[in-house]
Amino acid sequence: MDILPILSTLRRHKTTAFLVIAEIALTCAIVCNAVFIINQRIDRINMESGVDEQHLLHIALTNIGVTKDDKARRAEDLAALQQVPGVVSVASVNQVPFGNSSSNGSIKLDPKQRLATANATDYFGENVTQTLGTQLIAGRELKPDDYMDMDQVVTAAAAKDAKGIPHVTVITQNLAQRLWPGQSALGKQIYMSDYAFTVVGVVKELIRPSIWDDSAKSYTMVLPVRVANNEYIVRVDDPKNRERVLKAAVAKLKEINPHRIVLKQHLLSNMREDFFQNDRAMAGLLLGVCVALLVVTALGIVGLGSFWVAQRRRQIGVRRALGATRSNILRYFQTENFLLATIGIAVGMVLAYGINLLLMVHYELPRLPAIYFPVGALLLWTIGQLAVLGPAMRAAAVPPVVATRSV
Amino acid sequence: MRYNLMLAWHGLKRFPRSTVLAVVTVAMGLAATMTTLALLHQLTADPLPGRSSHLYLAWVDTVRAKPTQNQSLNGITVDQRHRIKLRDAEELLHDHRATWQAPMASVFTQFKSDGDKPRKGSDYLLATTSEFLPMLGVSLRSGRSWTPAEDQAHAPVVVIDSEMAVSLYGTTDVLGREFHLGHGVFRIIGVSAPFAPQPHFYDLASFTFGNLRRDQAFVPLRSLLDAGVDLAGDDGCDVDSPKPKTLFTSDPMYCASVSYWVDLPDRAKASDFLAYLQRYLDNQQALVGAGHARPAQLTRVDAWLSQQNVVPDNVRLNAWLAGSFLLLCMANVAGLLAARFLRRSAEIGIRRALGAPQRAIFQQHVFEAAMICLLGGFLALPLTLFGLWTLRLQDSGFTDLATLDPAMFGALFALAFAVGIITGWLPAWRASRIEPGLQVKSA
Repeated sequence: MDILPILSTLRRHKTTAFLVIAEIALTCAIVCNAVFIINQRIDRINMESGVDEQHLLHIALTNIGVTKDDKARRAEDLAALQQVPGVVSVASVNQVPFGNSSSNGSIKLDPKQRLATANATDYFGENVTQTLGTQLIAGRELKPDDYMDMDQVVTAAAAKDAKGIPHVTVITQNLAQRLWPGQSALGKQIYMSDYAFTVVGVVKELIRPSIWDDSAKSYTMVLPVRVANNEYIVRVDDPKNRERVLKAAVAKLKEINPHRIVLKQHLLSNMREDFFQNDRAMAGLLLGVCVALLVVTALGIVGLGSFWVAQRRRQIGVRRALGATRSNILRYFQTENFLLATIGIAVGMVLAYGINLLLMVHYELPRLPAIYFPVGALLLWTIGQLAVLGPAMRAAAVPPVVATRSV
Repeated sequence: MRYNLMLAWHGLKRFPRSTVLAVVTVAMGLAATMTTLALLHQLTADPLPGRSSHLYLAWVDTVRAKPTQNQSLNGITVDQRHRIKLRDAEELLHDHRATWQAPMASVFTQFKSDGDKPRKGSDYLLATTSEFLPMLGVSLRSGRSWTPAEDQAHAPVVVIDSEMAVSLYGTTDVLGREFHLGHGVFRIIGVSAPFAPQPHFYDLASFTFGNLRRDQAFVPLRSLLDAGVDLAGDDGCDVDSPKPKTLFTSDPMYCASVSYWVDLPDRAKASDFLAYLQRYLDNQQALVGAGHARPAQLTRVDAWLSQQNVVPDNVRLNAWLAGSFLLLCMANVAGLLAARFLRRSAEIGIRRALGAPQRAIFQQHVFEAAMICLLGGFLALPLTLFGLWTLRLQDSGFTDLATLDPAMFGALFALAFAVGIITGWLPAWRASRIEPGLQVKSA
C-alpha cells in the first residue's frame, strides 16, 4: 500500500486530521490511566484477608445499663454459643476483619528508640486465630496459659507492673518482614510502651479491621488478652448454614441476657462487601467513563470518516474509473485511519505517561506498568479500524461512473 | 450579527442527525463535569459563611514530653498536633484576649432522657465553654446558653438540639428537664437548631462530612468531665502526668485534648493575638525548661481546611477525570462541526464571493457551535441531576452533599457557552478560510 498519497491528502486536511489525532490521543491517555486505576481498585477489592470468610459470623451487643461480672457473662455466652447447632468455634474479641474499628499500637524494636518502627493493629481474645482460621506458618499458636484478662492487664499497666502484662505475641508474616527483613521472627522481641513481647508464632496473613495505608494492611499482632466486650466471632461448619446459625446465635444470646441490644450481626462475607463498597463504586464509575470515552471516540471517527468519503466521492470515482479495485479503495481508508491512529496513540502514550506521573505525585499511585502501552495501542487500533469500516465500505461501493457525472 | 445568528440557527437545522449527535456528546461531557464539580463545590464550600473568615485555631505546644511522642505511622511522620491542654485553655480563657474564644472537643458518648422509662442514645456531643454558641452562631430555638459563671461553677446544664429533643423526649418543649450523661444529671436550659457546618471543621479528629453526624448537644466542658465522661484522643501527654484510671483514657489537664478556637475581627488583631500566644508559650518554657517546642500557631479556617486536606482524593480525581472526558467530547464535537461546516464549502464560497467578510463567516459558525453546546447544556441539566442523585445513593459519608445550588446551575450554562465558543473556534476559523473562487468554480 502506498502511503505517500495518503500523507499528501492528509496534508490538505490539516484541521480534520488534527481533530482525529487529538481525539485518539486523549482517549488513549485517559483510558490507560482509568483502566490502571480500575485494576488497582479490583486488586484492593480482592485483597487477601487471611481468614476463612465463608465460615464466619460477627455479633456485637451492648448492655443496657451497668453490668457486673463481665467475665462470668462472657463465659456463659461462649458456652451457649458453642451449643448452637452448626457452630464449630467461638471467640470473644475486641475487633473483627473489615469491622472498620480497630485497636492499634506502636511497635519499637528497642525500648530506647525515638520513633516507633511500625504501627500495627492488635487482636485480643482467646481462641481468636483458631476461630478466624488464620494459617500458622511458623512457631506456635497462643496457649491458654499465655492469656491474661483485660481488666488485670489495665490495672497492671497503670501500676507499671510488667508481670501483669502478657509477654508473648503472634504476628503476621508481613509485619515480621517489616520488622526483621529476611530473618526469622521467632523468639525476637518487640516493645510496646516499654513492655517486651516475644514473638512465638507467625501467621501467613491477618488483615487489619481498618486500612488507611494499603502497604500496612496486614501489620497485625495477636496478643494473649481475654476481652469481654460483648463482641463475638462465630465459626460455622458449613457456609450454607450461616444465616440460620446467625439467627439462632443471636436468639440464644438474647435469651441468656435480655438486657442488651444487638448492635451488629453480620456474615463476614457481607462485611467484606460493605468494606469495599467505595472501591467498587469507583471502579464501576471509571468503567462507565471508559466505555463512554471509547464510544464517543468511535462515533467521532465514524463522523469524520463519513465526511471524508462524501467529500471525496468524485476522486474515488475517478480512481475506480482508472482501474482501482474496490479493495484498493477500502485499503486506502483503512490505512489512512491506521496512520492517524498511530500518530494519536504515540501522542497519547506520552500524555498517559505524563498523567500517570501527575497521579503518582498527587494521589500516591504506582507507576503505570509497561504492558498498558501495547494493549492500549492495540485496543485503539482495533476501535479505529472498526469505526472506519462503515465509511470505508461506503467509499468502496462508489461506482466508477460517478467520475463522469456532475462535471 | 443578528443575521449571523439567524444563519447559525438555520445551519443547526440543516443536518439534524449530526446536530443531535453533537448535542448528546456535549451533554454527556458537561453532565459528567458538572456532577463532579458540584460535589467538589459543596465539599470546598465555606463551612460558616460570614464567620469562618475571622475564626482561628490557636495552638501552643506546651506538652512536656520528649519529641519521641510524635506518632509515626509506618515510617511516615505526620505532625497533626493541633490540640492543647485544658490547663493552657483555662489560662487563655482567663486572659480573654480575643472577641470570643472557646476550647472544645466532640465526644461520642451514651446518654439517656429522664423519667421511669428513659430513652437511650449514643452520639456526638460537643464539650465546650460558654462562648462557643455565640462564636459559631448556633441559633437557639428556646431557652438560653450557659454563662461564664456557670462554666466556673461546673454547673450541670446542657443545650440540646431540636432533633435530639424530639428523638429523646418526643417534643421540643424540654426546658428544665433532666438529661443523663455519664454519672451526672444535667438540666436542659436551651434548645438549639441542629448545627452541622460542613465539614465539621472545629474538630476534624472526630468526623468531617455528613448530615447524619453532628454535635447533637452542647455541654460545659468541666461539668462533663465531672460527670466522668472522657474526651476522645489527645496529641500527647506530659511525661509527669498522673497515671490514668484505665489504659485508654487521658487526663485533659496534662494531655493536649481540646481544640481552642478564637474569633478575631481583623488581621491586626490576629497578629496581636499570635504575639500574645507566643509570649504565653515563652513564659511557659521559662517555667519548664523543655527545649524544641514549636512556635505558637494561629490558623484560619480556610488555611486549616486545606492543611488538613479534608476533600477526599477520590472526589478530586473524579473531577479531573470528568474534565478530561469533557475535553475529549469537545474534540469529538469539533470534528463533527468541522465536517458539517466544510460540507457547506460551496455556500460559504458564494457568501464570500458576494462580499461577506471572513469575520462574518467566522461569527456565523462560532454562533452555531455555541448554540449546539447551549442545547447540550439544557440536556446536561437533567443528566447532572441524575448523576448527583446516583452519587447521593452511594454511602461514603459525604455524598449526601451532592446537590446543585444556584451558583452551580449558572456555572453549568456558563461552561456550556464557553465550551461552545472554544469548540467552535477551530472549525469556524477553518470555514472562514475557504477560498471563494475555488468553491464557486466547482459548484
